[in-house]
Amino acid sequence: MEIVPLSQISPDQVIIWSWGFITINATILYTWLVMAILVVGSWFVTRNLSSEINVSRWQHFLEVIVSIIRGEINEMTKKGADAFIPLVGTLFLFICLSNILVIVPGFVAPTSSMTTTAALATCVFIAVPFYGITRTGVFHYIKEYFQPNFIFFPFHVMGELSRTLALTVRLFGNIMSHEKVVGILLAVTPFLFPVVMQVLGLLIGIIQAYIFAILSMVYIASALSTEDETHLEVKKESAGT
Amino acid sequence: MHIDWFVFLAQIFNFLLLMYLLKRFLYGRILKAMDDREAKIAARFSEARQLKEKATEEADLYEKRNRELAEQKENMLNEATLAADARRRELMEKVRVEVEQVKARWQEMIAREQDAFLYDLRQRAAQQLYATARKALADLADAGLEERIIDEFIRRIKELDEEKALQMRQAIRDSGNRVTVQSAFGIPESRQSQIEEILKSRITNGFTIRYLREPDIVSGIEVRVNGHKIAWSLNEYLETLVESLTETLQREAHAA
Repeated sequence: MEIVPLSQISPDQVIIWSWGFITINATILYTWLVMAILVVGSWFVTRNLSSEINVSRWQHFLEVIVSIIRGEINEMTKKGADAFIPLVGTLFLFICLSNILVIVPGFVAPTSSMTTTAALATCVFIAVPFYGITRTGVFHYIKEYFQPNFIFFPFHVMGELSRTLALTVRLFGNIMSHEKVVGILLAVTPFLFPVVMQVLGLLIGIIQAYIFAILSMVYIASALSTEDETHLEVKKESAGT
Repeated sequence: MHIDWFVFLAQIFNFLLLMYLLKRFLYGRILKAMDDREAKIAARFSEARQLKEKATEEADLYEKRNRELAEQKENMLNEATLAADARRRELMEKVRVEVEQVKARWQEMIAREQDAFLYDLRQRAAQQLYATARKALADLADAGLEERIIDEFIRRIKELDEEKALQMRQAIRDSGNRVTVQSAFGIPESRQSQIEEILKSRITNGFTIRYLREPDIVSGIEVRVNGHKIAWSLNEYLETLVESLTETLQREAHAA
């Protein structure tokens, strides 16, 4: 007897359409679904935006979400939060919606696929040096890898890689394991208990989205803080002379 | 775990696409709307602050003007009160003067009436006294009152002192030696010659004499020459009577 079907191990295994190298599986399908909901919902609400005092409920809802994201980013970067909102906000909204939609029967969260979490973590992995170099310049950014001396360069690189891996596995592990736990419990103790676990799963999903987004921002902010420190040192030197 | 590299790349692409679309349809618009609203609210606050400042200024100005108006009103009121007082005093003075004038006219009129009354009373009293005395003399003696008056007149000429005689003589000369004897009654010719003789013997003899009847001389006879005279009449008695009567009347008037 198969307790957990293969399709529940990972949505990657559910191939919908394939042609040579190109494969459309459930992960991509559900990703498109989440994307469609986010994009169409945003377009629908923001097509008639008002900057007056009285605005629609949905606009209020979106403004609350965006302002919370902006506030969180502001707390870490202190300035220029709007530049990071697309990346961090999209990470949070995509992961959060994917995890919430789990309560819909038949929906499998794309984040329960390690391919997806790896792709998201890779985006963060690329974004950190991108923002770092954009703000501080190549030399300053690379110089940080050799601080306090060149021996630490491998450790810095390992740190970058390991935290990307940590991002990948943390999200994937939490979401996938939860789904598996709920599936197993459903087979063992049906009725109420799995419902409680589903509620807990929603909470975990939202928390994981928050953690992923916040950690991403922390990594980016750490790359930016070197810029601030460098600039501060330059200012101090010029003031001293 | 197995990682499908096509799916991996596809998910990266999907994420970037989602990021772009959300930036275009969500963040950009929402942030713009929020910023616009914030700017509008800030502008409204600024406008409200300006309006409040302006209102405060207006209120201050209004209060100042009110104060000035109140002061002006008070000044005008004071001026009007002073003017009214002055006018009242002026009118009171005018009225007082008019009253004084009316009172003076009235008193003058009263005095005139009193004089007329006293004159009339004196006339009547003198006539009455004359009639009474005459009747009394007639009853008491055979000689008429006129005779007794003439006798008294002649006695007075006789008893004239030298100084008075000298003054009379001088006066007769100054008047062109004309002497007028006035009496309230007719003097018989025998008595006229007596008078003429006594005048000639006592004063001078170089004059012409004429006799006139003058009813105003109450029961008397007099020689009047250029401001000097020798006379006897009831007038002096009557004047005493009139004086005492006048005093009595004035006392009565004051008491009233």
